[in-house]
Amino acid sequence: MIGGVFGVTLAGARDGDEAAFARIFRDLQPALLRYLRVIATDPEDVAGETWVQVVAGLRRFRGEEQDFRAWLFTIARNRAADAGRSRARRPAVPLDMTEAAQQLTTPDAADQALEAVSTQATVALIKSLPPDQAEIIMLRVVVGLDTGDVARIVGKSPGAVRVAAHRGLRRLARQVAQAGVTL
Amino acid sequence: MQDEMPGFFPGRPGGEHDEPLLDMILERRPIPPGAPPEIHGLARMLAAVAGPAEPGDLVGQAAAQAAFTRLASRPGTSSAALRSARRSLPERPARGRLPLAVALVAAAAGLGSTAAAYAAVLPSPIQHFAHVAFGAPPPPHDLALRVSPVTSSPAPTPSELSTSAPARRQPAASSDPVSDKARSGGFHLRKGNGAGPGDAICATVQVAGQNHGLTVGHSQGPAQPSPAPNQGKPGSDQGHDGSGQAQATVPPSFPPGLLSLPATACPDGTTPVKATDAPGQ
Repeated sequence: MIGGVFGVTLAGARDGDEAAFARIFRDLQPALLRYLRVIATDPEDVAGETWVQVVAGLRRFRGEEQDFRAWLFTIARNRAADAGRSRARRPAVPLDMTEAAQQLTTPDAADQALEAVSTQATVALIKSLPPDQAEIIMLRVVVGLDTGDVARIVGKSPGAVRVAAHRGLRRLARQVAQAGVTL
Repeated sequence: MQDEMPGFFPGRPGGEHDEPLLDMILERRPIPPGAPPEIHGLARMLAAVAGPAEPGDLVGQAAAQAAFTRLASRPGTSSAALRSARRSLPERPARGRLPLAVALVAAAAGLGSTAAAYAAVLPSPIQHFAHVAFGAPPPPHDLALRVSPVTSSPAPTPSELSTSAPARRQPAASSDPVSDKARSGGFHLRKGNGAGPGDAICATVQVAGQNHGLTVGHSQGPAQPSPAPNQGKPGSDQGHDGSGQAQATVPPSFPPGLLSLPATACPDGTTPVKATDAPGQ
């Protein structure tokens, strides 16, 4: 989070300040990529398309930092959906849902996870959840949006978002317990 | 089923009692020490995912920066270009509108001045100039001299004022446009050098159709009878100086002492008249 200087930074980016735009990019790009790795099959490409659209609409945006995050991830979700539709004609590669869990359940993997649970492994574990739960957990926990913003992005009620988030977290907690991961 | 309705299976992991802990994870709040170890492990894993950028997370920054630079520098999209365009917008029409505005102001001033001149509300010198230039009514200063004998007369009208006799009597003054103009209006004025508004002036006023009254001033030259049709008695229009010229005739009802004549004479022999002495002044 950029914090109190976000307004100044955003104003600088609107005026063409590349340093200001770079600061916004570095603050949001990690969460964007991790989010897209959960919901999209080609996260880097979708992230690039998302930033192009953000740059194009930067001067029209009005709001605070949280609003900017919600706007950015709404664009990312739409671009991911477009990318998913364009790949619908291709043969789908079945996702190995047990791969991430195996990294934690096998004794050697568990030991390795005890030492260094990589971000990618955790993202892969979240990706093993039902899609709606995985996306909501990413938006709530990784991106840091509140229930209302997430509800607007995914098109659900705040209550449904809360229930889905709780179910996803319980499922993750069970997998962690089964793997014996205690950090 | 137990995942979907965890609260209905008390005693199993994921019951309703864990909701506060799950909300703490969602809101990134610290987990209390007494929480189950899997909750602590999950919280740490998610905190790592939400953490700072790792190598590889900033992939695509160069492309995004290039897109930003390209879009920000596109004409018409950068705020600097927009500001420049906004600044230049009011300037360009102003350059084109300036001559038009000047022309409109000049036209309005001209029309207004003309209207004011015809309404005879301009200061006397300007009104006089307007009278000479384009036939506007003369200033009240001049009107008083012309009208004062007439207002005391029961009969005469402006059309009755003679115009031919003074022109014939003043050939030397024909080069003076003021005199010519006044003459053409049936009213002959010749101002002395340096004469002011209150100074004595040499006036030649003739009211046609009146053969009784007072003659004011005269011009040098041969005696010319007035062409007034009702001029019945020859010689009755002779001036008080005996020159035999009748320039202004006041009807019998006009008070003789009202239009007093000073004793000084004009250079051409006529008797000056004080403008302020005229009735109505």
